[in-house]
Amino acid sequence: MTALPARPSLGALRRWLGGSFAPYVFIAPFFLLFVAFGLFPLLYALALSFTDWRGVRAPELIGFSNYIFLLTDQAFWESLGNSLYLWLLIVPVQTLFAVLVASLLARPFLRFRWFFRTAYLISYLVPLVAIAQVWKVLFDQDFGALNFALQAAGLSAIGWLTTPAWAKPTLALLVFWKSSGFAILIMLAAIQGIPRELYEAAALDGADGRQQFWQITLPLMRRAIAFYAVIATLAVIQMFAEPYVLTQGGPYMSTTTAGYALNQYMKYLDLGTGAANSFLLTLLVVAVSGIMLRLLRARDED
Amino acid sequence: MTTRLPTRSETASFPALTGRTLRRLNLESLALYAFLCLLALFYLYPLVWMALSSFKLGPDIASRPLSFDLSAATLDNYRLLLRNVPLQIGFQNTLIVLVFKGALTLFFCPLAGFAFAKFRFRGRDSLFSLVLATMMLPPVVMLIPLLLQMGRLGWVNTYQALILPGAVNAFSIFWMRQQIAEVPDELLDAGRVDGCSPWGLHWHIVLPVIRPALAALAILTFLDIYNDFVWPVVAVNTIRMQTLQVMLSDLYNQINNMQVGAVGANAWGQVLAASTLATLPVLALFVALQRHFIHGILSGSLKG
Repeated sequence: MTALPARPSLGALRRWLGGSFAPYVFIAPFFLLFVAFGLFPLLYALALSFTDWRGVRAPELIGFSNYIFLLTDQAFWESLGNSLYLWLLIVPVQTLFAVLVASLLARPFLRFRWFFRTAYLISYLVPLVAIAQVWKVLFDQDFGALNFALQAAGLSAIGWLTTPAWAKPTLALLVFWKSSGFAILIMLAAIQGIPRELYEAAALDGADGRQQFWQITLPLMRRAIAFYAVIATLAVIQMFAEPYVLTQGGPYMSTTTAGYALNQYMKYLDLGTGAANSFLLTLLVVAVSGIMLRLLRARDED
Repeated sequence: MTTRLPTRSETASFPALTGRTLRRLNLESLALYAFLCLLALFYLYPLVWMALSSFKLGPDIASRPLSFDLSAATLDNYRLLLRNVPLQIGFQNTLIVLVFKGALTLFFCPLAGFAFAKFRFRGRDSLFSLVLATMMLPPVVMLIPLLLQMGRLGWVNTYQALILPGAVNAFSIFWMRQQIAEVPDELLDAGRVDGCSPWGLHWHIVLPVIRPALAALAILTFLDIYNDFVWPVVAVNTIRMQTLQVMLSDLYNQINNMQVGAVGANAWGQVLAASTLATLPVLALFVALQRHFIHGILSGSLKG
């Protein structure tokens, strides 16, 4: 290499960068959009979270008041509690269920596997909003098909979407219907990735189906299970669309999840508090995913 | 050629194929198929019910929700729906967002993936880490910051607000980089010898080689945009700009407000008709491109 030219020229810059400007041009669109619709909005919102701003007059600096308000606000904690409740109803059930169904679908001589896999996956693809309408009609207290069937069987009608006690399970059932097919697909792919020879060796050693499941299938699926548990947990914390279209967060806030709680701040243009709530939620997501990943990694090592 | 090894259940059941085991096996598999069929019913029934009920009148849906009388089937719901609600605006807006946002994703994400996979340039690894780091940003948390940004730009109720955020997204870049890394370097070297520019390499060599992955990316992108609800419902507050999903979410109230004094059930027929219409494009595409779908969703599941 020759000595660097006294004045930096375009050619020298190109050589310093690795010989070509092309890769920088290729990746530029992502970074432009990220700055415009990611980084800058975040910093702007962070600044606004320390102000009282309702979209009309100039923002007024109020320090940590928004954060203090939220952390002492019963509604904020209630939304976290609702999310925790929904997590309990959704993630453990769905994960176990998916492992069970996938292990049935993976049986070597199963016929119509293609049909079952397809049938289970369709619910994952259809628009949530469309199926939420169906849910509203099926689970209507006065005219819904479900209460119709209950009453035909001599039982009394249930306020599926109108009582706080039932609204959460009804919402959880919608989430289950919508996403468990996807969970099954992930688990099935994981099982099909397990080498057949392991089962053959186990069978020669006299292990029956149940033993093979506990000794081979489950341990080797641990990564897929962990992966699904993490993404499902993050989805539950951020759940927004499902309560929006099914219950509008009600009745009596019973389905106002941590994510959906942001909606009222947007509705009433209390965006300073809303921004503060967004950042508290970010902290929660980062903390939960950090803890889960650490737990799972620790278990991976032994 | 190797001979086929006996599979698990062959070896397991062969030594003791007595009458009793056979009976047990049959009972067991009967229970297995019954369970799997019930499960299929659970997933398919709401969709079938939706489609069938969309041909029933509202009061009928309320009074006989579980029966379907073919002779009483009617297209009234669809007729009323098309007359009462500007559903075509929803379809049109969704189509516009699909075309432009989809084009941006399918054009720029493979390009960035190519740069990260096949070029050595200063800062590449840290820039790529930055791309990955943006995947950690929880989308719901971005809602209020994005809304604020759109307010500043004066972009509330515009197509650019629906199209630009997330159009060139980190996950698609990550996935395309994985796919393009598998393209043999010899192919690219041959292209360079022939005097291809970086863009020429991408267009003439990389894209044709990764066509199956591109198809999967296209399907995944279609699903994401078509079904997207959260950002469109926040970014738009006039009917004129509503996407199909946003329009659908508000349909019941719209129809009820229009028919003063009507029973709520009257709107149901139309809402279910609209839901059926909104579901059809996805189902049609799924039936046509099944294999790509499953491939795409599985690859897409590696997001975390």
